[in-house]
Formats: sequence, structure tokens, C-alpha cells
Amino acid sequence: MKNIVEVKNFKMKFGNKTVISNLSFEVKKGEIFGLLGSNGSGKTTTLRALLGLYTPTEGELLIDGKKYNPEDSSVIVGYLPEERGLYRKETVIDTMTYFGELKGLKDPKEWSLKYLKRVGLLDKINEKIEKLSGGQQQKIQLGITIMGNPKLLILDEPTKGFDPMNRKLLMEIIDELHQKGTAIILITHYMDEVEKLCDRVILLKDGKARAYGKISDIKKEFGKKSLDQIFVEIYGGENE
Amino acid sequence: MSNVALKVAKFEVLRQLKKPAFWAAILLMPLLIGFIYFISFTFGTENVDMNPTLDENTKMAITDDAGILGPEMSQYVINGDKEYGVEMVKNGEVDLYFHIPKDFVENKKVDFYHISEGLDIFNFDGNILKGILAQNAAMKVDPADVVALTGNFEIVDNKLTASGENENALGKAVIPIAILVVFFMFIALFGNRFLMATVEEKENRISEMILTTVSSKHLIIGKIIAMMVLGLVQIVTFVVPVLILVFLNRENPMISTILSSIEIDPVTIAMNIILFIASVFLYAGTCIFIGSLVSTARDASSFIGPAIIAMVFPLYFMQLFFAPEPGAIVYFLTYFPLSAPIALMLRSGFGTLGTVEFLIGLAEVSVCAIIVIRLAVATFQKNAINFETFRPKFLKRR
Repeated sequence: MKNIVEVKNFKMKFGNKTVISNLSFEVKKGEIFGLLGSNGSGKTTTLRALLGLYTPTEGELLIDGKKYNPEDSSVIVGYLPEERGLYRKETVIDTMTYFGELKGLKDPKEWSLKYLKRVGLLDKINEKIEKLSGGQQQKIQLGITIMGNPKLLILDEPTKGFDPMNRKLLMEIIDELHQKGTAIILITHYMDEVEKLCDRVILLKDGKARAYGKISDIKKEFGKKSLDQIFVEIYGGENE
Repeated sequence: MSNVALKVAKFEVLRQLKKPAFWAAILLMPLLIGFIYFISFTFGTENVDMNPTLDENTKMAITDDAGILGPEMSQYVINGDKEYGVEMVKNGEVDLYFHIPKDFVENKKVDFYHISEGLDIFNFDGNILKGILAQNAAMKVDPADVVALTGNFEIVDNKLTASGENENALGKAVIPIAILVVFFMFIALFGNRFLMATVEEKENRISEMILTTVSSKHLIIGKIIAMMVLGLVQIVTFVVPVLILVFLNRENPMISTILSSIEIDPVTIAMNIILFIASVFLYAGTCIFIGSLVSTARDASSFIGPAIIAMVFPLYFMQLFFAPEPGAIVYFLTYFPLSAPIALMLRSGFGTLGTVEFLIGLAEVSVCAIIVIRLAVATFQKNAINFETFRPKFLKRR
């Protein structure tokens, strides 16, 4: 199978309000895929339905050919949600080890120590999460997300709130995992990041796909030189 | 049992055991019991002689206007009036002074004077006169009449069942009631902890990360297992000191009577333990269901109160459970799901619950526990990423 993600005729309603209608797209194995759109366009809802946090009203959302089951060790998915948090009262090492155990790592503690050494937090292993700075907590969240060499990495606005150092670290990690063959779905509002990293993108507006494919093809289709210009053309009217 | 649920349980148990606050809360009860025991041991009534006798260093005087004391007691009787006796106390000539007035038989009152030694709540020196008067009376009547009048004899209670066998109601009640006490403790101590465990992921905005790593079902089951283990730790921490105290006081008449009467019926004990486990699951499921509806422990606290009241409701009607024939209220409480656990335990303890009724009640509690836990899992999954404050529809502003 070429695709790691398949979304077919996805429809999502909350009460009487339809937030996604008839959405279909695929993410190929090993590619970096941009899921783009303005606030409220349905990006996060799509990801939550893909990960089984929402039950779709209609349609099928598959990861590696099946509905996502968090305990299926054959498909490890790393997810960095937009809503971020950690067990504030627990220590760094206990939190990371716990997630590592849940993700089926053979030696979660050793993995966590290696990661913490890499990101310069080895001296904080026994600190409670709440004692760490915001930037340090972001590093922990990122570590939990990439545990176990995921086949699919889903990053919902990953650079939101990241300081420049952490943003650089994130980019390095994305690059490393991409080199290893991990497929990445990236939600972001920074079009420069998208142009630099993504192979293909989908642009959502009001729960519908307005553009989908390779960035170069979309630029041709819209007759624009940059994604920023396309973004402004599609969503510009929303702020008027 | 799912491996993932066990991993969740391990994490939840270890993190609690590492917290000083957990041990502070857990040790509070045994320490309190120990403190009360220490106080009662040091200052309590068991060290206070409620019927003291006159020792050789204590000087006592009595004015007997009623003329009831015989010549044997003349050593204590003084000539003079009440004022004279009081003066003797004030001057330190005597330590204790009693005035038996003329109308003693009608009014049954004696005045007692002595120098106060502060609060003096455990001073029973006044009872010395009772001993003297009893001794005085005993000298005038037959010893058999003394026993009869003082009531100083034991009535050995031999109850029979309708079929003529020896009835041992107290012995049969001990273990079911002990299980009820443990369940009550569980309700009192663990409601808040269940709520915290359920809403913690939401409060910390970690629901999405955790629920894409572990299923909500296994997360909830893991948390329930953890709470059970922590409950067991808490119960053991509480029960062991109590058992030690019972052992140390095994010669105490009341305790030795209870201990000697305990009836060990393995079937009854097993049934009550199964009922306890089902009841704990029902309570846990209810707490988790409430926790899964809301976003914060604060929101949950307003809904958990009525559930706890419904659970302990049978205790408010305790006297109705003593009746040999249960009434309508007792039957209602026995079969209303939330009150059923305590009602069944009470009736089992008081011997008014037949085997068939017990099994029906047990089945009801078990089925309700399964339903409420499934409901809690479904609600938790549905509301896990809902961070809004929960309000029932009828309370929402139009």
C-alpha cells in the first residue's frame, strides 16, 4: 500500500452544524503533507476523527488501511496536538517513561534519558513538569510525540509558542524522521514552513477542500508565485 | 486483563504512593485512633475509679439528719449541723464532707463538699458515700436480697431460632458489618480521588495525547484498578492498627464477648466479599461517569454529593433495618441501585436477608456496575476533549 492515510467522503456534523463535508484525500508513505486552512476550517476536526477521538458522521478515515487503534503496535502514530499539556505534578522521567511504556518501547527509560541528553534536559529528569519553563515542557511533549519511531507523525501547529531554539530542534527532528521514512502531517499557519518542508498539501475552507496536490501544481492552478498569495486569495474575504 | 490497563494502573498507583499527601491522608485515621486511644489510656475512664473507697489518708465527715447510718458507721458521723461540716472542709480538718438531709428518702439527694482541684471532671469521690450507704444497708438485709437489689449479676442470653437451634445474631453480624464499615470508608475517602483521576487529563489538557496512545476503555479500567489497589493500601493501613488494638484489649469483657461469638461461615463471608467488590465497582463507575461529564474536579463536586447521599441513604434509616420483617422503605432501599449495596450489607448483617434476595440484590448491583462503567467509558471518550464547563440543558441560558 502506498498510502499511510486515506480519508474517503468524510463528513462531520456537530448537532445540526456541518463542519466537514465530503472530504477525501490521501497521505503517501514517507511524505510531508500540509493540512492547511484558516481557523475553523476543519483541520483539527479532521485529525481528531482520523485518530478516533471523534466519530465521523459519514465516511472512512484510515491509517495504514485500518481505523486507528491506539493500542495497535503495528502502526505507531506520534501526535502533537494543538491543545498541549502534561501531568504537571509528575517528574520528567516518570512522565516520559509512562508514555514510553504505553507506546510499547522496550526500554522507555533508556530512550527517555537519551532524548533528554540530546535536548539538554538531563539535569531535569527528577524535576516536576510544573517546575519547568514553557520551552522545556515543549521539548518533553516533542519527545513523547516522536517516541518509538512513528510511521506517521501528526503535528498540529507544532511551532505555535515555540521559541527559536525549539523551533530549530523541531525542524531537525522532522528532517531526521522524514529521512527514516516517517510520513508527516503538518498543520501550520506559516506558509514559509510549508513551502520548505511539504511535498503536497490540502487547503480547507469551511470543511471543504479548495486545493489539493503538489505545491507546484497548486501554484500553477492559481497562477500565483507563493502559497501565501494563494492563502490570501482563498481566505482573504473572511476578514473583510 | 489488558497489559495496557495494567501499565496505566502501575503508573497511577506509583505516583500516588510517592506523594507525601497520600500518606498524610492515609495515616491520619490510624493516628487519630491511636491518639484517642492514648488519651483514653492516659486520662480516660478506664484509669478513673468511678467507685472509689476511702483510703487511710483521706479524712471524711458525715452529718446524718435522716438517721439512716447504723452504729457501724459512727466513726464518720459528726455532731453538728451542715454549716459546721462545711467549715471543717474549709479549715482542712476533713477532705470530704457529706450532709444527709432529713428528707433524704423523699428527695434522694445528699450534699457533698470538698476542696476543688480545678476542672475535676474525673473526680468521683462523692461515690464513696454510695459505697458506705450500700455497705450500711447490706448489713441489715439478707445477702441474696443484696444481690437482687444491687442487680450485680449477669443474665446469660441464650437465643433460639424458630427451629430451636442456638441463635448467634451478634456473631453472624460481625463480619458483614465490618465489610459495611470498610465500604463506607471507601465511599468517604475515595469519591474525590476517583473524580480527580477522571478529570485530571482534561484539567491538564493531556486528553488528546493520552487517548491517541491508549484506548479510553483501558485508561478507565487502569484507573479503576489503581484506585482499588490504593483503597486496599488504605484499608490495610487502617485495619491493621485496629486489629492490634483489639488484640491488646482482647481481655476487655465487651471485646472478648464479640470475639468469642464471631461465626465464621465461609459462604456468607464469600458472598459479602463479592457484594463488596461489586459495590465498589458500582461506586467507582458512578464517580467516573460523573467525572467524565465535566471538565474540572470543581464542576464534578456539585454532582457527586447527591450520588454519595443516595449511596449512604440506608444509614439514615438504620432503625428500620433492625426490624425482623423489612418494611416498604427497606425493600425500596434494597433494590434502588445506588442504595442497594449498603442496604444489602445492613440486612445481611442483621439477618433479615434470605439467600435468594441476596443473590437478586447482588446480581442487580453487578449489572448496574457494568452498565455504569460502560457508560462512563463511552462518556469519557466522547467528552475527553471537551473542555467546557458542564451544565445540564435545563440550566443553560436560552
